[in-house]
Amino acid sequence: MAQDSVGFSSDYQFWLQKLSVWDQASTLETQQDTCLHLPRFQEFLRQMYEVLKEMDSNTIIERFPTIGQLLARTCWNPFILAFDESQKILIWCLCCLINKEPQNSEESKLNSWTRGLLSHILSAFRFDTKEVGLFTQGLGYAPADYCPGLLKNMVLSLVSELRENHLNGFNTQRRMVPEKIRFLSRVCIPLVTLPDIEPLVEALLTYHGHEPQEVLWPEFFDAVNEAFLLKKISLPTSAVVCLWLRHLPSLEKATLHLFDKLISSERNFLRRIECFLKDSLLPEAACHPAIFRIVDEMFRCALLETDGAPEVLAAIQVFTRCFMEALEKKNKQLKFTFKTYFPYASPSLIMVLLQHPKEIPQELWHQPLKHISEMLREIVEDQTHGSYGGPFECWFLFIHFGGWADIVAEQLVMSEAEPPEALLWLLAFSYSPRDGSLQRTQTMVEVKAVLGHLKKLFRSPTLSAKDLQAAAAESQDRDPRPPLCQQLIRRLVLNFLLWAPGGHVIAREVITLMAPTDELTHEMTGLLDQTLYRWDHLCMEAPRSRKLARELLSELRSAGTAR
Amino acid sequence: MESLLQHLERFSELLAVSRTTHVSTWDPATVRRALQWARYLRHVHSRFGRHVRIRTALERRLQKRGRQDGAPGSAPVPGLTNFQALGRCDRLLSLRLLENRALGDAAYHYLLQQLFPGPGVPDADEETLQGSLVRLARRGSAVHMLRFIGYGENSVLEDAVLKTQAELLLERLREVPKAEAEGPSRFLSTLWDRLPQNNFLKVIAVALLLPPSSPRPQGEELELGTPKTPGEGGQELVRWLLAKSDVMAALCHNLPVGLLTSVAGRHPELSRAYLGLLTDWGRHLRYDLEKGTWVGAESQHVSWEELYGRFQSLCQAPPPLKDEVLTALESCKAQDGDFQVPGLSIWTDLLLALGSGS
Repeated sequence: MAQDSVGFSSDYQFWLQKLSVWDQASTLETQQDTCLHLPRFQEFLRQMYEVLKEMDSNTIIERFPTIGQLLARTCWNPFILAFDESQKILIWCLCCLINKEPQNSEESKLNSWTRGLLSHILSAFRFDTKEVGLFTQGLGYAPADYCPGLLKNMVLSLVSELRENHLNGFNTQRRMVPEKIRFLSRVCIPLVTLPDIEPLVEALLTYHGHEPQEVLWPEFFDAVNEAFLLKKISLPTSAVVCLWLRHLPSLEKATLHLFDKLISSERNFLRRIECFLKDSLLPEAACHPAIFRIVDEMFRCALLETDGAPEVLAAIQVFTRCFMEALEKKNKQLKFTFKTYFPYASPSLIMVLLQHPKEIPQELWHQPLKHISEMLREIVEDQTHGSYGGPFECWFLFIHFGGWADIVAEQLVMSEAEPPEALLWLLAFSYSPRDGSLQRTQTMVEVKAVLGHLKKLFRSPTLSAKDLQAAAAESQDRDPRPPLCQQLIRRLVLNFLLWAPGGHVIAREVITLMAPTDELTHEMTGLLDQTLYRWDHLCMEAPRSRKLARELLSELRSAGTAR
Repeated sequence: MESLLQHLERFSELLAVSRTTHVSTWDPATVRRALQWARYLRHVHSRFGRHVRIRTALERRLQKRGRQDGAPGSAPVPGLTNFQALGRCDRLLSLRLLENRALGDAAYHYLLQQLFPGPGVPDADEETLQGSLVRLARRGSAVHMLRFIGYGENSVLEDAVLKTQAELLLERLREVPKAEAEGPSRFLSTLWDRLPQNNFLKVIAVALLLPPSSPRPQGEELELGTPKTPGEGGQELVRWLLAKSDVMAALCHNLPVGLLTSVAGRHPELSRAYLGLLTDWGRHLRYDLEKGTWVGAESQHVSWEELYGRFQSLCQAPPPLKDEVLTALESCKAQDGDFQVPGLSIWTDLLLALGSGS
C-alpha cells in the first residue's frame, strides 16, 4: 500500500506537469501529445477516483492541495473530455469534492467552484453566436435537447463534404482543403469510440484525395485500430481494409492481436480459431495481395520462431481456408492472379494445391497427391530451381493447404495396396522438410515397415493393444527414431484406430500407452480436432469413425482439464 | 387515468420550479421524491408508448399546459411539451437541478449521489440516467471539438447549425394544436417579432428545403407512429409567408440568390410570390439615357444588376420553374408593348440579356 501511494504520488506530479504544458490543447504539439497520452491518463483518473472515494472533501484537500488545479486543467482540455470514459471518471472525482455541509466560507467556496466545473462538463454545448442562442431559447429548447441532433447534422455535413457531394443545393462549391482534413482526423482521435462519430470515421478512412502523401494523422489510424480490436467501434469491412492498406503498423498490430488469441487457451479448437479469424476480418482483407503478403510473412515468422509449432501450422491452414472462401465470394470484383499472392511459388504447383479435395472423388485422391509429391520433390531435390525457394519455402507453401498432408496419412493407412513411394515421400517431407535425402529415405523405410505391420492387423478380429504397440515399435537394429518421425508414426497409429474395424475396442488402451504425458495428450487432442474439422469440411460420411473420434476427443479434453 | 394526468400536472409544476430560486428550500428528501416522480413518468412513457388513447390524452394535457400563460400561439414554455419528452423527463429535471445554483449543498450532494453512483452500477444498460447524462456530456464535447474545423461564414458546419435550427422550428410547428386554425400563423408571427430576423429568415429558407420525409431528429428514440404527417410544418410556413408580405419581402431581399431559387423551385406558391415581387421591383426602374442603363428612382430600389442576377439564377433552375419565369417575363414584355429594341421596356432588356446568356 505504501509502495502504491509512492507510485501514485509520482504519477500525480507527472500528470500535473503534463496538464499544465498542454493547457487547453490549442497548438498542434499539445494536441498531438495529449492524444498520445489519452489512454494512460484515463487509467490515472481511474486510480485517482479509487483513492478519492475513500476520503471526505477536507481530507482530499489536505492530502492533495493541488487537486483543484489538476481537475480544472483536465476539464478545460477538450481532447481529454472527449475521450472514451474520461468525462465520466472526472465527474466521479469531482463528486468526491462536494461537501454536503460546509462549515465555513472556504468549504462553501470549494463547493461552488466544484459545481461550476461540473456544470461545465455537463452543460453540453452552447451556441456562442447570440442570434442562434436566442433562436433556440425563443423556441423553448435547452442545449441538451438539440445537442444530439446538432451533432448528427454536423457529422452528416462533414461526411458529405468528404464525399464531395452537395446537400440540397444550398451549399456553394466548397472543398475541404487537406489541412482541414488532417485537422479533422486529429480532432476525431479522442472521439473514435463515440457511436455518433462512426460515419465520419468511415468517411475519413475511405477518403481518397488527390494529394500524393497520406493526409490523415497516423495517430488517427492507431486510435481507430485500437478501438476496432477492442470492439469499441463497428466499421464496415471496406473501411477496415482501407485502414490497414493505409497504415501498416495497424495491420501488424491487428495480426499480432489475432496471434495472441490463437496461441492462448483456444488451442486445439479449430472451430473457434475459425471464428476468431473470420471475426478479425483479416482473411477477407487478405484478398488484397498487399495485405495477404504481410500477414503471410508474419505467419512465417511465427512459424520459424516457434520451430514449427502445431498450433501455428493449424492457424495457417484455417487462415488459408477462410481466405480462399473470401476470395471465392469476391471473385467478381477483385481479379488478381494467384501469382500476386504467392509470388515465389511455382504456378503449376499452386494450381494443383488449390484443388479442393471435395471436388475430387475419394478413390482418386492419390492422383493429385502423387502429382503434388512429384512437383515438390522436383523443386526440393533439384538445386537449380533456386527461384522457387529452398525446401522450407516449398514446405511453407504446402502447409497452407494442409488438408492434403493429413489426407496422405489417412490414405496410406486405409488403402490395402502397397504404399506408393511418392506418398511416402510426401508424408516424410510434410513432417520434416529439412531432412537430407538420406534421412528422408530412412524415414520412408521405417514408415513403410510400420504400414506393412498395420495392414496385417487391419482386418484382424483379435486385435489387441499389444499387437498395435509391437507394430509401431522401433526395430532394435536401427538407430533410434528422430522425434518427428515418431510423431509421424503416432499419427499413423491414430488413423489406424479410427479406421480399422476393431479399432474402437482398443482405442483408449492404445492412447494411454502412446500418450502418457501431457505433451503427447496435447498432440493427440490436436490431431483428433484437426481430423474432425477436416471431415466436417469435406462432408465425409464415416459415422463410426466420427463417433469414435468425437468420443476420444472429449475424453482427452476433460482429462486434460482435470489434471 | 385522472390520477396519471394529475401526476403529470404536478410534475410539470415541479419542473418549472426547478429552474427558480425556490429550490433553495429543497432538502435531500424533496430531491428524492422529485427523481422518483420523474422515474415514474419515464416508466409511463415506455409503458404506454403504443397506447394511442392514453398518449393522446397526455399529449393534449401537456400542450394545454404549455399555452396556459399566454394567448394561443404564444411562445412555448420550455419543459414537457409532448409525449416524447416524457422519455427524457428525468434527464431534464436532473440537468436543471444540477445547474441551479440556488440548490442547497446537502440537496446537491444527494442529487450527485443519485445521478452518479460510480463504477459499481453496470453501464451496459445504456438506459441508466448516469449513462444518459455522460453520453450527453460526451456529445457536447464532440460538438465543441468539431467546431474547431470551421469558423465564420460558409463553413461546413454553419449549414449543420442552420439545419438543426430548421428541424427545431418544424418540430415546434408540428406541436401547435390543430384545433386553432390560426395557431401556427400566430406562433410564427410571435417568433418573427421576437427573434433576430436575419437568422430567422435563413432558418425559414433551410426549413423549406428540408426533405419532406424528415423524421423527428431530436428524440433519440424514433416516435412510435407520428400522429401528424411530416412536411406539414413546411406547409404552415408557406401559408404564413404568403400572408405576411413584409416577411416575404425581407426574405427575398436578404437571402442569397441561389438559396431563394432553390426555395422557389421547391414551392410553386412561393415562386409565384417571388416573381410577383421581382416584377414589382422591375417596374420601379427607369431607363437613364445618359448612363445607358436602368436605374431606380429612389435609393432603396433594387439595382439592375441585382434584378438581372436573380432572374439569371431562376433561369438556371430546372424546368417547371425556368419555364414559369420565362413565361412571366414574356407576358410582362407583351403588356409593355412587346418592344424588341432595348431601352424601352425593362422586360425586353432582361430577356435580351438572359437570351444571350443561354
